[in-house]
Amino acid sequence: MNSPLRRRAVLRGVAATALLLATAACQSAVDAQSGGAGSTPKQGGVAEVGVNVDLVPGNVLTNSNVSITTVVGLVYEPLIRYGKDDLKPQPALATEWTAAPDGTSLTLELRRGVKFHTGRPFTSEDVKFSLQTYADPKWNGQLRSTATAITAIETPSPTEVTLRLAHPVSNLFDLLDTAPILDSETAADIGTGKRFVGTGPFKFDQWRPNTDLTFSRNPDYWGGPAHLDGVHVRVIPDGQSLLSALKSGQVQLARGVGYRDAESVANTPGVTVKPLDRGAELQAYVGINVSVPGLDDPRVRQAIGFALDRERIIKKVFRGAGYPTSLPWPKGSPAFDAARNGHFTHDPAKAQALLAEHGQPVPIVPLTYVGTDNVAASVAQIVQNDLSRVGITVELRPVDSTQFVKQLIGAQFPGLWTTTHSWAQFTPSTLAVSAYPFNARRNASHFTADTYTAAADEAWQVPVGGDTPAAYAELSKQLLDGSFLTEIGVVFEQLVLRDALHDVDYTRRRELDLGKAYLS
Amino acid sequence: MTRYLLRRVPSAVAVLWLASVLVFLVLRAVPGDAASALAGPDATPDVVAAIRHDLGLDLPVAEQYARWVGGLLSADLGRSYLVGGDIADLVADGLANTLTLTLAALLLAVLVALVLGPLWAVSRGGWLDRALTAFHTAAVALPTFATGVLLILVFGVVFRLLPTGGVPPGGLLDRVDITAQYLLMPAVCLALPVSAVLTGFLAETLRAELRQDYVLTALAAGVSRRSVVFGHTLRNALPVTMTALGLQTGALLGGAVLVESIFAWPGLGLLVEQGITRRDYPVVQVLLMLSVAVFVVIQLLTDVAHAWLDPRVRLGGAR
Repeated sequence: MNSPLRRRAVLRGVAATALLLATAACQSAVDAQSGGAGSTPKQGGVAEVGVNVDLVPGNVLTNSNVSITTVVGLVYEPLIRYGKDDLKPQPALATEWTAAPDGTSLTLELRRGVKFHTGRPFTSEDVKFSLQTYADPKWNGQLRSTATAITAIETPSPTEVTLRLAHPVSNLFDLLDTAPILDSETAADIGTGKRFVGTGPFKFDQWRPNTDLTFSRNPDYWGGPAHLDGVHVRVIPDGQSLLSALKSGQVQLARGVGYRDAESVANTPGVTVKPLDRGAELQAYVGINVSVPGLDDPRVRQAIGFALDRERIIKKVFRGAGYPTSLPWPKGSPAFDAARNGHFTHDPAKAQALLAEHGQPVPIVPLTYVGTDNVAASVAQIVQNDLSRVGITVELRPVDSTQFVKQLIGAQFPGLWTTTHSWAQFTPSTLAVSAYPFNARRNASHFTADTYTAAADEAWQVPVGGDTPAAYAELSKQLLDGSFLTEIGVVFEQLVLRDALHDVDYTRRRELDLGKAYLS
Repeated sequence: MTRYLLRRVPSAVAVLWLASVLVFLVLRAVPGDAASALAGPDATPDVVAAIRHDLGLDLPVAEQYARWVGGLLSADLGRSYLVGGDIADLVADGLANTLTLTLAALLLAVLVALVLGPLWAVSRGGWLDRALTAFHTAAVALPTFATGVLLILVFGVVFRLLPTGGVPPGGLLDRVDITAQYLLMPAVCLALPVSAVLTGFLAETLRAELRQDYVLTALAAGVSRRSVVFGHTLRNALPVTMTALGLQTGALLGGAVLVESIFAWPGLGLLVEQGITRRDYPVVQVLLMLSVAVFVVIQLLTDVAHAWLDPRVRLGGAR
């Protein structure tokens, strides 16, 4: 009756039932992440975002990686915002502004009723503090040259601020669009990543290094609360793992997916690839150290320009996410000139003719790039191939990213290098005074020319909002004549999105804007 | 004993000091520096100089070293250049995650070996033997990055049963059921080769035990095969397998670095990788010194235990 076999069978049954019940009681971590699925827009929910690099708090005033541009886009706001298709400033934390006729001052009226995430009212003193912080070299604000042109910041009332300038500054609105307004009381915590307090639609809750960042809706946002309850940003350094998280629906938005991977995943049902192609462009280029024998002759540098098959690089490496160009300006830039932009066609015969004019063999040219960056490695190989066809031997030199940056900043490249740059989508003078590869007075190419410096100053030192097509044309001419770097093309960062996340937007600095986003 | 300790401890301290000098100098010999990494590509030289000053990298190397060692001696591990936070917090978080992952993998590996080892030992020539041989070969031969990607594809993307990576948003201790789901795939990935090695080892040891006379006697006396295997031979085979387990634990910790990267598991492996890539010297220095210190302390304790147990060691040293 009470045999061991029967008792064992009963015990097994009880154990199996208990296991089943325990499993059923467990919530699925996958469901918890993806927040379920539905088809109609809804209020609430947490957007899951995946990024391939972690935050560097000390770099928060730069737009140097996708984590930073995600944090800044969610938490902070600038004084004005450019539209995507033009450089006309739109109100943000400033509602009105008046520039002095001579361009040496700008008075801004600030939005009333705005509060920081701590509940403290936003005032003109915060504008003063933020712009002074931006000018501090230790924060490495990329428009610091513009910020340091501000000689005084007057705050006659909590809602009014006047900026006094050393000279007219054409790209002042670029700074006001770029510099995030910081809460002076908590700004000391930014460097340690403990607190990021702004006025934006989401409040920063927590950062776990190498793990994730969490944000919650700012219920007091002046522009109206966001649809989303919050945003959870996961750090997933491995490219394949990031892609898998997206394919499985465990993240609804991925940043930092490679061009080839984005192309392959674009055919997955429920996934779309959104290029940041309106006002947030990047540029791929080949830099040239003009102090190196051979490369010191502009004809050799122009020969490099004609030797490159830009179409092929854009098509094969960037998988069509961009277009070839001879100058840095994207199509929406006031400096864009279709004729000049097409100056360097793929013309090996012309390149060889220019090399023949040079009259001497060009020594072997080292080409430095970030070896762990598949895009840079592919570009470098095509450049090597293209130049070998016209008789220039290129030796590839892969280095790690830190070494690359050090060589770039220190102008230590022994020949050519390839990477990307930004800022050409802003006021054209910004490129010549702020983007280091183009800086007229000191750049990685060791290129100096009075005519280029004069053209850069001519474009920069005009009153804000001033239309200077002649100055831009001269700047473009100088860039083509000097050819101290050869543009490959305008390229786009890509957001890879699940269809469940709607109305994802971005700024000119590729900052993520989820203020109007919602989940379905 | 005290005299032995007085002799032995200074040599351990000397090793630690030498290691600190080597770690400090070798990291600074690597091309590229933290200020450049932090400054980014658009930085001008004056910005880099300001950051270098802020980090104290413009001080003479000897002074930087003295400050670092002084901090260590006063239990201040310093601050990360990149993260900005206390290194002690970073290391504590990373260590907790790495140990959790390693422990889970270790438990899985032991469990698998305890189930499959005896089965393999008693199933010579049959289909089970062939299946277990195939499992053993595949688990040992397949690289971790391949099994990791495969697991993610199957269980994360195709069937969507488990999270593809990361740790629970609420932390490891918030919900055990959620944590278990996050932990399962990385732990299996890490445990797979170790479990195969342990299974093979246990099976082979059991086979040797099963050839012993006492087994034949027990079987002849009518004791069931199962009782012989689990009641007698397994117990005898376990000490040898435990030795292999000890050796495999080191392999688990090493393998955790790769698994952490594949599954975005924020342990010490990720911390070291990022620290080296981005020249976060203080973090890498502390992690390297931590591993040296652990080794030196274990060595010291072993020597002390040896000397305590064997007077010849103490006296031999005194002569």
